[in-house]
Amino acid sequence: MKVLHILSLMTLGSAALAGCSSLGVKPWQRDILSRSDMRPDGAGLDDAIDEHLYFSKEASSGGRSFGGGGCGCN
Amino acid sequence: MQLKPDPAQLRRKLIAASCALLSTSAARSQETSDPGLVARVLKEWQFESALAYYHENGRIQAIEPVVNANHDYADGGNVSLNFTFDSLSGSSPNGALPSHAPQTFASPSAKSFASARHPYTTQPGNLPVDPSYSTARAAGGGDWTLPLTRLSRITLGGKVSIEDDFYSGTVSASIAHDFNDKNTTVSFGINDESDLIQPIGSTPVPLSNYAAFAKEGNKSKNGVGALLGVTQVMTRNWLTQLNVSVDRFTGYLNDPYKIVSVLDGGGNTTGYIYENRPDSRTRKSVFVDNRVGGARASVDLSIRYMSDSWGVRSETVQVHTRWWMPARQQYVEPTVRWYHQGAANFFTPWLPGSDQATTRYVSADPRLATFHALTYGLKYGYELGGKLHRSSSEFTVRVEYYQQTLQIDKSIPVGLQGLDLYPGLKAVLVQFGFSY
Repeated sequence: MKVLHILSLMTLGSAALAGCSSLGVKPWQRDILSRSDMRPDGAGLDDAIDEHLYFSKEASSGGRSFGGGGCGCN
Repeated sequence: MQLKPDPAQLRRKLIAASCALLSTSAARSQETSDPGLVARVLKEWQFESALAYYHENGRIQAIEPVVNANHDYADGGNVSLNFTFDSLSGSSPNGALPSHAPQTFASPSAKSFASARHPYTTQPGNLPVDPSYSTARAAGGGDWTLPLTRLSRITLGGKVSIEDDFYSGTVSASIAHDFNDKNTTVSFGINDESDLIQPIGSTPVPLSNYAAFAKEGNKSKNGVGALLGVTQVMTRNWLTQLNVSVDRFTGYLNDPYKIVSVLDGGGNTTGYIYENRPDSRTRKSVFVDNRVGGARASVDLSIRYMSDSWGVRSETVQVHTRWWMPARQQYVEPTVRWYHQGAANFFTPWLPGSDQATTRYVSADPRLATFHALTYGLKYGYELGGKLHRSSSEFTVRVEYYQQTLQIDKSIPVGLQGLDLYPGLKAVLVQFGFSY
């Protein structure tokens, strides 16, 4: 339950921050953000292979995008 | 000091520079005037490929080649295609417990012990595994992103997967909209998955006696899911993402190859039954990801909490870092992942014979048990830069070690004492990648 509370607080915090238009950068300040290691989809194949491994060995999957599936391994 | 340039020298330099430019343009023009199909595809598409080798301690090994192809259109649209092939072989646990006595099983295709083509006997003290496990999977899919306005886009996707005993098709659709100078992106997507299950030797009747070989026809399941995501640029160095998702599967959710040991009061194995799980499952998850980057390093911290209607609760924390070498051509990425899950409420490592008549749902599949897992990984990347006429091309090597430790808190009956009942899982993944 403690973890759930922490996650709930983080969720509310992120949502509140996302609604704040004063955050962010100008287009010419995106040099670091445009790198593959800073993009949510930047590690495409690594994430896909890991997700497949965890989907076949654990009861939970997904969350990052549409979860697992398409495999009879679990 | 000469302040005025020599006109003749300047003229010669200008002529030389013009000739150099013209010759470059001419060469490019010659290259692009009639490029072949392969040359055009290589020029206009980005490719990402990987070959992964996975090996478990004394159990399964797998080889998985993967290819992604991606094309960006001038209007902001995008098409991506992906292909995967899996080949698995080795020994797969069948769900039964180790015993002090030899245990004999038949492969899933058997109609009886007498006619079984691949019977196998597990020696005392060993975890029962089917030593002739082998399967292959081919999967392909694609996503098509279309811009609706300057700030909105929709993505339509599809995926099919084919195995010896499992067929799956998934369609998905999502919409994304940018706000605040494209610093905030809100996306919402839905997907629908339909699966057909044709187990080798047909589907065992749930809860039936293993030795009775009672089978029934093919089965199916269907899943629908939705995901709401918010991505926010916080600063020039910090990106945060929040996803909330829910999905629901209905239909045949059993593992048709998993059995459960039935024990007498003394802990001696008296037989086995096929497992049975509820025919619906709803999962909810919250995923938070934060990425912070500097000039030569970045850190990615993600946390996921997930719960489902079977009583499983899980927490996942993953830290991913990247360190660039001084020349910025090579990098290393250490990764640590911690995962913990609580058991499904119908999980039990064995079934007391006295409970067999009243049990409705039961599974001894360790993937539904309480356990924690640790992953340690290291990746090395070498950016090829202009060597292949494309700045984004790179070569990577990745190694991961995965260890699962079961935490089953159940008093051990006399007949099982002295046995390693829950040996856990150790696995290594080695992956080579190349992108162009």
